[in-house]
Amino acid sequence: MKLKHLLLSMLFAMMAVTSTVQASGHDTVDTQPTQVEKAKNNQEYTSKSISQLLESFFQTTGLNAMLHPKEGVKNGQGVEMSLFSQGWGRLIMFIIIFLLFYLAIAKGFEPLLLLPIAFGGLLANIPIANMTGPHGMLGIIYDMGIANEFFPLLIFMGVGAMTDFGPLLSNPKTALLGGAAQFGIFGSLVGAAALSQYTGMVDFTLKQSAAISIIGGADGPTSIFIASALAPELLGAIAVAAYSYMALVPVIQPPIMKALTTEEERRIVMKNTRKVNSLEKLIFPLIVIVMIILILPDAAPLMGSFAFGNFAKESGVVDRLSNEMQNSLINVVTIFLGLGVGSKLASDSFLVAETMGIMVIGLLAFAAGTAAGVLMAKLMNKFSKEPINPLIGAAGVSAVPMAARVVSKVGSEAKPGNILLMHAMGPNVAGVIGSAVAAGVLLSIFK
Amino acid sequence: MEIDLVGESLKFMVLGMTIVFIFLFVLVQLVKVQAKIINMFFPEKVPSATTPPSSSQESDHVAAIIAAVTEFRKNQ
Repeated sequence: MKLKHLLLSMLFAMMAVTSTVQASGHDTVDTQPTQVEKAKNNQEYTSKSISQLLESFFQTTGLNAMLHPKEGVKNGQGVEMSLFSQGWGRLIMFIIIFLLFYLAIAKGFEPLLLLPIAFGGLLANIPIANMTGPHGMLGIIYDMGIANEFFPLLIFMGVGAMTDFGPLLSNPKTALLGGAAQFGIFGSLVGAAALSQYTGMVDFTLKQSAAISIIGGADGPTSIFIASALAPELLGAIAVAAYSYMALVPVIQPPIMKALTTEEERRIVMKNTRKVNSLEKLIFPLIVIVMIILILPDAAPLMGSFAFGNFAKESGVVDRLSNEMQNSLINVVTIFLGLGVGSKLASDSFLVAETMGIMVIGLLAFAAGTAAGVLMAKLMNKFSKEPINPLIGAAGVSAVPMAARVVSKVGSEAKPGNILLMHAMGPNVAGVIGSAVAAGVLLSIFK
Repeated sequence: MEIDLVGESLKFMVLGMTIVFIFLFVLVQLVKVQAKIINMFFPEKVPSATTPPSSSQESDHVAAIIAAVTEFRKNQ
C-alpha cells in the first residue's frame, strides 16, 4: 500500500516537473527584471495593471526561479549559485530525495533519520525561500545544534542510556574486536588520500579525508560530529552515506564474513557468558571517563555524554532522567538533527564530484572494518583458551544493534540453534567506544 | 610545499590504530580488575530459589487464561 502511494506521488511529481519543462518552450513572455527593479526603487506605489501584477508575481514564483536561473543568485550562505544548481540541479535533487523517501518508507532503511534528512533536503531546495539561510528554518536549526556539534552529543547521551554493557563486561577481551574494526576508518583514510593524490577525480584535503573515513566507524552521530568539526561542506553527503550504509549492514556484511571464514569456524559454539554484577555496570562508565581523562581528552564530548547517559541508566535512581534521554530527548533531537543535516542536501552543495567519492570511500570503509574485525577474531580464536567464533568480529563496527543481529543470523545459518547475539553485543558496544576514540584521535591531530 | 597525503594518512593510521588498541586494552584490563575486586568484596546476592517456580507457575496460569480467551473469541 505504502509503496503504491509513494509511486503515485512520485509519478505526480514527475508529471508536474515535465509539464513545467514543456511550458518553458511556450513561455515567450519576456521577463523584464529591469522594470521590476525600477518599480522597487520607486518608493511610492504606482498603479499597476492586472497583467503587470501577474507578471511581477510570476517573477517571485519558484517556477520562474528554476526555469530562468539568473547569474548572481546567492544561496543561504551567501555564496553564488551556478545556473545549473538553480535549475536542473534542483530537479535532480528532488529525484534523489524521492529515492531517499522510497528507501526510508518502502524499504525501511533507517527511516528515523533518512526521512527527516530527506525532508530537510526537500525544503532546502525550495528556490527563493532561502530556508538554509541564517534566518531560514533549516539554517536556524543548523546553527543551533549542528554547526556547534551539539545535537550528535545529545544523541550519544540517549544511546548511552540505551546501551547495556553487560555482554562486554562478562567477556571483556572481545572489546579488542571493536578496536580492530576501526581499521575501516583509518584504512579508508589512506584510501581517500590515495584517491585524491593519484587520480584526478576528487581533490580531498587531509581534513576532508578524515571526515569521510569516519563513515567506517558505522556510527551516525560520530560521523556527523566529526564532519561538522572537520569538513562541514561535506556534511550532507557524509551523513547520507553513513546512514544509508548502516541500513545496508545486512547486505554488505554477510558476503565479507562468509568469504573470510570457513564453514567450521562459523559453527563454533561459544561458552555461555557469566552473570554481571550490577555494581560492575555502574562503575564501567566511570572507568571510561578515567581513561578519557588520562589518555584522550579530545574524545571527552562524545564519551562524556555517552558515559553520562549510561551512568544515569545503571544508577537506577534517576529512571525519569534516563527514560527522558532514551525517548523524548533523543526523538526531539533526531528531528532537529535530520532536518539540519538535510539543509546540506541543497543542490549546490550536494551535486558535486566529491559526493560520489564519499559514497565509494564510505562503502570501502564499511567493508574494511568488517573484514578487519573478522580477521582479528580469527587470530584471537587461535590464541584463546575459550573458542571464539570469528563471526562476532564483524559486529565490531558499531551499527548497534544491527551488526550484532547480522552476526547472529549468519551464525545460526551455519549451525541452527547457535545463538551468537549476546557474544556479538560485546564487540558491538566496544565498537561504539572504539569509533569515539578514533574520532578523538582524528580531532587531536587537526587541533 | 606539497604534502604527501598518502604518507601522512599512513602515519595517522599507525597512530590511530595504536591509540584505539591501547585504549581498549587498558579498558579491558581495568574491567577485569574491577570484576575481581567487586566480586570479592560485594558479591551480588543470589535471588532465593523459591521465587522462580512460583512465577513460572503464575505465567503458566496466565498463558492458560490467554489461550482460553483467544479460543473463546475465535468461536464468537
